[in-house]
Amino acid sequence: MSPAIEVHDLRKVYEGRAAVDDLSLTVPRGSFFGFLGPNGAGKSTTIRMLTGLIPADSGTIDLLGFRLPEQDMEIKKRIGLVPDESLLFDRLTGLEFLEFVGRMYALERTQARRRAQELLELFELGDERRKLIAGYSKGMRKRVAMAASLIHRPELFLMDEPFEGVDAVGARLMKDILLDQVRHGATIFLTSHVLEVVERLCDHVAIINKGKIVREGSMAEMRSGTETLEEVFVREVGAERAFERLEWL
Amino acid sequence: MIGAILRAQWLSMRSFSMGSKRSGMVVSAIVGAFFYGFWLLGAWGLEEIFASAEDSVWLAVWLPVALLAVMLYWQIAPVVSASLGASLDLKKLLVYPIPHEKLFQVEVLLRLTACVEMLIIVGGIATGVMRNSEVGGGIVAVPRILVVTLLFIILNLLIAAGLRNLMERMLLKRSLREVMVVLLILVSVLPQLLIASKVNPDAVTHYLPAAVYWPWGAAGHLMLGIEWLAATVVLLASIALAYAFSRWQFAISLRFDPASANRRVLALDESQDRLSLLDRACRVPAFLFADPLAAIVEKELRSLLRTPRFRLVFGMSCLFGLLIWTPRVLSGSGGKATSDHFLTMVCVYGLVMLGQVMYMNAFGFDRSAAQAWFSLPVSFTRVIVGKNVAAAWFVITEMLVVVAIALVLPIRKSPVLVAEAVVVTLVSGVYLIAFGNLSSVYFPRALSPEKVTQGGGSRSLNVILVFCFPIALLPVGLAYWARYVFSSDVVFFALLAVAALLGAVLYWIALGSSVEAALVRRERILNELAKSDGPVSIG
Repeated sequence: MSPAIEVHDLRKVYEGRAAVDDLSLTVPRGSFFGFLGPNGAGKSTTIRMLTGLIPADSGTIDLLGFRLPEQDMEIKKRIGLVPDESLLFDRLTGLEFLEFVGRMYALERTQARRRAQELLELFELGDERRKLIAGYSKGMRKRVAMAASLIHRPELFLMDEPFEGVDAVGARLMKDILLDQVRHGATIFLTSHVLEVVERLCDHVAIINKGKIVREGSMAEMRSGTETLEEVFVREVGAERAFERLEWL
Repeated sequence: MIGAILRAQWLSMRSFSMGSKRSGMVVSAIVGAFFYGFWLLGAWGLEEIFASAEDSVWLAVWLPVALLAVMLYWQIAPVVSASLGASLDLKKLLVYPIPHEKLFQVEVLLRLTACVEMLIIVGGIATGVMRNSEVGGGIVAVPRILVVTLLFIILNLLIAAGLRNLMERMLLKRSLREVMVVLLILVSVLPQLLIASKVNPDAVTHYLPAAVYWPWGAAGHLMLGIEWLAATVVLLASIALAYAFSRWQFAISLRFDPASANRRVLALDESQDRLSLLDRACRVPAFLFADPLAAIVEKELRSLLRTPRFRLVFGMSCLFGLLIWTPRVLSGSGGKATSDHFLTMVCVYGLVMLGQVMYMNAFGFDRSAAQAWFSLPVSFTRVIVGKNVAAAWFVITEMLVVVAIALVLPIRKSPVLVAEAVVVTLVSGVYLIAFGNLSSVYFPRALSPEKVTQGGGSRSLNVILVFCFPIALLPVGLAYWARYVFSSDVVFFALLAVAALLGAVLYWIALGSSVEAALVRRERILNELAKSDGPVSIG
């Protein structure tokens, strides 16, 4: 079976600077893959290219055995997306939005509505279902986005900082749901700055810095010895205690 | 500190304009030259009038009246045109330790951006008065006139700053917003209503508020060097009052929480009855189309109906044309042509008004959520068609409202006139929506749903619209020309049918091109739609 994600020599240049520089990556099916990197490393650009939101300058992207952009419709039907920026339509209620997304994935209206209601209950937004999304907090918006990504039972999830702004209870729920999805054969590709979360959830990790993959492997390989993922990460991206140079601080 | 704010704004605007093409900037400059050329011409005309006036009584009446007109335009035009110019985004600045007085000064100075054309006009009037040999003092009067002109500008800036803050807050209140706009429209069409009611011009002249105790009267009298003591007291007192009003409004705005006001608006939408009523209206497409088109249309209808900015423009599109042309038709001042084409003009006017918040910038209200259209498994053709169907739904509703109101007015009407209005609007709509599909993907701009005073499109789009509307309405114009030449309704409607066919072809071609362009330009479109203002928000 083809890998969930297979990327070769992916490149994206902005104003002469490579945001993603000849990136190659393979994500096996059924894995929980953490894609890490410092701010501006190229994580979001990569994920946006994987979702087809921005075109790559060069390289190939295959998701679930389908090639982007040629077979984008086949891919879109099979992926669930939680992007960094909201793709929620503010002037719909949570219930209406989820029903709308379900219908976009070819669910019958009644089925879409039923699933939407169940997902809202699951994400503890049942009481807010008649409220416009514009009135939701950041955490609530993330929950709705997560619910929307689940409504059609995708095979592959692409998530950019899915736990950002979500409270501990919500984050715990989301993690449990994602782990359950992986147990049922789905693949998850997520970016996160919270390394503890990645360390606990992911079985595979890649670290990107300045557009290039600097380290990749299973979580066990990453944490050889007593090193934590944070220590590996800091070492790989070359972070230093720059603040010590500022005498006034 | 003020320098830092303005620099941050300049940097924000620079990053905005870096994406725009040079050709767009050139067209923009040409249109700007036309616009300001028009006002320069007006200023020159006024300069000549006031320079050559010999009757001091006439000057004492008409100079204050001219200044009153300037003041009305300065204060009302930005509101009616729903473009209040630039202002400080206090939410972004309040976290910094900037003295409020400094912020207030910037806010007042930014009012200059709302009505540059009035500075030109005031300059023309002042120069005319300076050149007038009848005005006492000769060259000695020049400093006095300059000082008075400056004071008059300061007065207007202060009032405009206060009004802007007041309007911004009031327009967030759903119940007040629509009423206020109708009132403002009524004020702007007051001269026409006076003409329609056949008021004696002499009587109007007699009641013109030109006395020295009015602020504009005081400014006029001071410019002319008459009743200078009373005029000075009135003008300075007016400025003091305007400052107090403006400062007071600014202080309230500093404490104002738009999120809280929004919450109240959103809470209204939670009402079960309101939603079910809305639901019924929005579910109509589901009976006519299959998913995903039905779902897209439904989403568009729901979203737009709940968008304050859209509701406001939609209400204006139904009423504005009626308010402008009804007095002319009733008084007969518009002639037979206005009377014969009244319904058509009002309907097409409404169609054009809806453009900037609907079909000309179809993704504006989606903002960053527009990325959903590129990530959901639905063809972009369907997305655009869905948006077009929703636009057609609102255009038809607008027509029905206008026709229903027109039917109760004492004006000439017949089934043929109604049919003409409907057919012409729909045919024009096909052309405009075809252009709109292209402009939506080539000139997208994020629109704030709450910010009812924000302009509808990017500068490039506004420039394109100037050329686009006449072209789009040309086929219909040709049909009218043929009717005039051949004096035949049959020829007219036959040509309209041809225009409709051509429009359908054009629509089809434009649809294909816009889908292609959207896919190629998706990154740029999404970047444009995700942009936000700097510390100064542009109205």
